[in-house]
Amino acid sequence: MKPRRLSIKTAVMLVGLALSLAIPALIGSNQYNMMLATTVLLFGVIATAWNIIGGMGGQLDLAACAYLGLGAFTAGTLLIRWDVSPWLGMILGGLVATGFAALVGYPLFRFGVTEVWYALSSSALVEVLRVAFLLWEDVGGPTERYLPFYSWSPYHMRFGSYIPYYYIMLAMLLVALFVNYKIGRSKLGYYLRALGENEDAAEVLGVNTRACKLKALMIYAFLVGAIGAVYACLYGYIHPNFFNGLQSTEVAVLGIVGGMGITYGPLVAAVILVSGQEFLRASLGGQLESIYLVIYAVVLILMALFKPQGIATLLQDAYKQIVLRTARDRHVQADTSGV
Amino acid sequence: MIHTIVQNAINGAMMGCIYALITLGLSIIFGVMDVVNFAHGDFVMLAMYFTFWVGTLLGLDAVATPLITFPLLFLIGVVTYYLIVHRTLRERYVTQIAVTVGLMLFLRAFAQLVWQAQPRALLHSIVQGRIVIAGFTIVLSRLTSAAVSIVTIGAVYLFLTKTWAGRAIRAASDDLDVASLMGVNYGRTYALSFGLGSALTAIAGGLLMTFQQVDPTMGIRFGLLSWCMLALAGLGSIPGLLISGVIVGVAESLSMALWDPRARSLIVYLIFILVLWLKPRGLFGRK
Repeated sequence: MKPRRLSIKTAVMLVGLALSLAIPALIGSNQYNMMLATTVLLFGVIATAWNIIGGMGGQLDLAACAYLGLGAFTAGTLLIRWDVSPWLGMILGGLVATGFAALVGYPLFRFGVTEVWYALSSSALVEVLRVAFLLWEDVGGPTERYLPFYSWSPYHMRFGSYIPYYYIMLAMLLVALFVNYKIGRSKLGYYLRALGENEDAAEVLGVNTRACKLKALMIYAFLVGAIGAVYACLYGYIHPNFFNGLQSTEVAVLGIVGGMGITYGPLVAAVILVSGQEFLRASLGGQLESIYLVIYAVVLILMALFKPQGIATLLQDAYKQIVLRTARDRHVQADTSGV
Repeated sequence: MIHTIVQNAINGAMMGCIYALITLGLSIIFGVMDVVNFAHGDFVMLAMYFTFWVGTLLGLDAVATPLITFPLLFLIGVVTYYLIVHRTLRERYVTQIAVTVGLMLFLRAFAQLVWQAQPRALLHSIVQGRIVIAGFTIVLSRLTSAAVSIVTIGAVYLFLTKTWAGRAIRAASDDLDVASLMGVNYGRTYALSFGLGSALTAIAGGLLMTFQQVDPTMGIRFGLLSWCMLALAGLGSIPGLLISGVIVGVAESLSMALWDPRARSLIVYLIFILVLWLKPRGLFGRK
């Protein structure tokens, strides 16, 4: 049983990896398609990182774009002012986001802000940062600050094409998935899932819930902050509107409808919902403006209503079916050969 | 300087009364059935558009539109309850958030589809002009709005304490099981609460439209703002709701006047986060 199960999973993963590596070769001639693929990956990475605090830890963080924006502003400002490479900016942006997460996370968890109130305060945080950067004219301000333009400069992470960004995002996705996988199998992961199910019970059983939540928040903030650096280079400018409350909420929604705590759940949701939304926009947008948003919202509601455990559970069920069927087939074979 | 502060505090306090009315709707929905509704602000947005519609199509004054929009939004609330919210009652709060965020996106897209993205406003209202008391200007439309808000809040308070249906709502919010044993039909009570919570936005929307315009992105601001006030007030205290509405209104108005118009929400959200840290049950909370 065991080797076969592994092989199905590995096969799916390898096919997925090969496919995602080959996407630029398949559709790379069309920049619009490449932009879509990069956007899907972008949301996929952020939602996958969100899975650590939101999915496993059950803390509904709605501040993804706070960390994204902090990373973008750190890397962007360093690049504009001192010509620091965004590759370094990625690390520094991640660190700034982590520091900020620790700063606000500590009192939030210390004072026992949980559930919907945690969600709301994180949502308010995004708006606070947006306004703060809007008022902080030295770094932010109401006008876009453009990154220096290069048609091809790996040092500045500036490319005239979406393909390099696609591969950077893909690499970050693999990192995020790997971190998810590792944490999911570590002590921290078990603690997180325990406190995500029932915080009081976990506390009674000796889990230091505060420390666990803070660790998860900081890891998530670092990943999203690092993505922020790439985000700034991808768009070519930085602006306080990067601190986008609605977009942060949508990241969390991807994590929820994907399946909380399932490593690949948010990614599945991002692939289906983000590309579905863009497909609808492309095919319907011309006739009736924003009808695609209506359809998207309805699909979202239906998914959340009828598959509250997440759409990734559909895949899990299908997988179980396959395993069961192959096992049964082998059983039948063994029986007949035995006779 | 002091004149500016007092003047803006007056304006903010009058605005805060409307905020309190909006939050009262959310407070009923969250307090009674524990449903985390992220779409409440978009009901306000919808109410404002309905006000615009009724106002332009029937030539009704914004103050009079609740005659039509109140039953309309009550109906929409009840339908929303039976179609969507009803199915999430037994789910985790994260599912409720996902569903109501979907609802929020739906209402927003719907408004964009029907009324397009540009802001809409009603031409004029019968409540116009201003009075000057001791050097302070009071805009009549805002004064009327504040007065109507307070009267409505009082009426809802009477409804909740003096009528059978209102008592059923309060009983259900205290202890659903016992209330059910005492003959409260929880399905109908919940539908009534959601309908009432949504219908209250009709009055607030009508009042807002006497001096403001509406655009589809407004919902998210009102949504977060009303949650802030609910956190400030805590559950179950109607005077607390009014006070926290005024606090938010004044904070908004003062940060706009003394600091920067863009800082409007900054102070409010900082207060909100601080209150969550220091007084998780709100300043006036019962539960």
